[in-house]
Amino acid sequence: MRPGGGDPHTLAGAYAMDAVPEPDRSRFERHLARCESCRQEVRGLREATAALAAATAVRPPAALRDTVLRAAGQTRQLPPAAAPWTPARHRRRPGWRPRLAVAVAGALAAVAVAAGVVTFGIQGRLDQAQHRDRMVAAVLSASDATMMSRPVSTGGTATVVMSHRERALVFTAADLRGLPAGHSYELWLIGPAGTRSAGMINGSGHGRMVGPMVVSGLAAGDSVGMTVEPDSGSPRPTSPPLVLIGLR
Amino acid sequence: MTEGQRRSPGGSSGRPGRPADAAGGHAGAGPGADQLGALLGRVARGDQDAYAAVYDRTAGRVLGLVLSIVRDPAQSEEVTQEVLLDVWRSASRFDAGLGSAAAWVMTLAHRRAVDRVRSEQKAAERERRAASSAVAYDEVAEAVEARLDRERVRRCLGSLTELQRESVTLAYYGGYTYREVAGLLGVAIGTVKTRMRDGLIRLRDCLGVDP
Repeated sequence: MRPGGGDPHTLAGAYAMDAVPEPDRSRFERHLARCESCRQEVRGLREATAALAAATAVRPPAALRDTVLRAAGQTRQLPPAAAPWTPARHRRRPGWRPRLAVAVAGALAAVAVAAGVVTFGIQGRLDQAQHRDRMVAAVLSASDATMMSRPVSTGGTATVVMSHRERALVFTAADLRGLPAGHSYELWLIGPAGTRSAGMINGSGHGRMVGPMVVSGLAAGDSVGMTVEPDSGSPRPTSPPLVLIGLR
Repeated sequence: MTEGQRRSPGGSSGRPGRPADAAGGHAGAGPGADQLGALLGRVARGDQDAYAAVYDRTAGRVLGLVLSIVRDPAQSEEVTQEVLLDVWRSASRFDAGLGSAAAWVMTLAHRRAVDRVRSEQKAAERERRAASSAVAYDEVAEAVEARLDRERVRRCLGSLTELQRESVTLAYYGGYTYREVAGLLGVAIGTVKTRMRDGLIRLRDCLGVDP
């Protein structure tokens, strides 16, 4: 369903003005991920909106300046392009996104762009989705991030980017087979530490791509697996995994 | 009040606390923008003097934009503080390859302001609060460059069709979603999406800010 119908491209203007609420925004961001000319257009339109702001400037109260400068002096700064809680030793030079785009081309392009979008407004929203997106960015920007792709036995491809350092992975899948009503794909961590549910995959059965899902709490020797379970999830996998990716 | 300063329905009814003719700031591109980017680079390395300079170049625009969306002066100052602290905290995330420093700061500001009103207030309540508050802000001093920027914005807004201009100003200065804008203007959602895009494209070309 695309509200208003037509080409998603036309949302570029509304998007540049933060006028696209969820879930349309996520949908449009997925479109942006596949469309370099759209990203370029959004950038240009944002420049135009920034110019609009010049027309409403006011003189701020003097006290505001003192308050803000004092607060800044007491506020720790974020390292470049990593999650806020990442220690400073992970400090990396900017510019990981282009490298990443090469490394994570294809299945994960959407994720990389989502991370770019988040980086642009990192503190803008503190809701759950934002938190997830930051986790995604942290994993993708980790210096030890590695990518693995495996076919899913019932169709489609699962892709994982993992970071030992972040003890987390980002999972996406493309072209999964649609499931009967009442069923969803569920992710599992399977290893010496036991078999733990890593969450239900939302949106399976429609759309080419699912995820990105962040899975944290990796233990040594874990693999990530995917099964089909009732929508409510299962305490244990009820069938052998349709795909199993060993985490190295 | 000119077309260029219409912000939202009710916005032209003499809202208190909003100077009718506030000016200031540098529009997107130009040498001012490059300086701001260089300053942000120093801020990213913890340079507090550079941060004070960034504050002086952006605070008026940030507060003005936030006020136009949030309306309530106390809340607007709160949001402005958050935005400017964001700038301090995340200066290292600014990537000149993705746009100008001014656009980065104003995008942070717009998002924060929009998040505030969408999470806390209905549009109607926004209007009511604004009507009950009466904090006056001075106009920004009319630096020549700032005045030129403002005139340019006004002229370019004037070059849009009525529907394009209404759609853009309601979304940007009003903080409304495209669905809300469609409702306010009584036109189809698809029409509003198109007008927003066409309007911004025309503005972008008129302002000469294409990156």
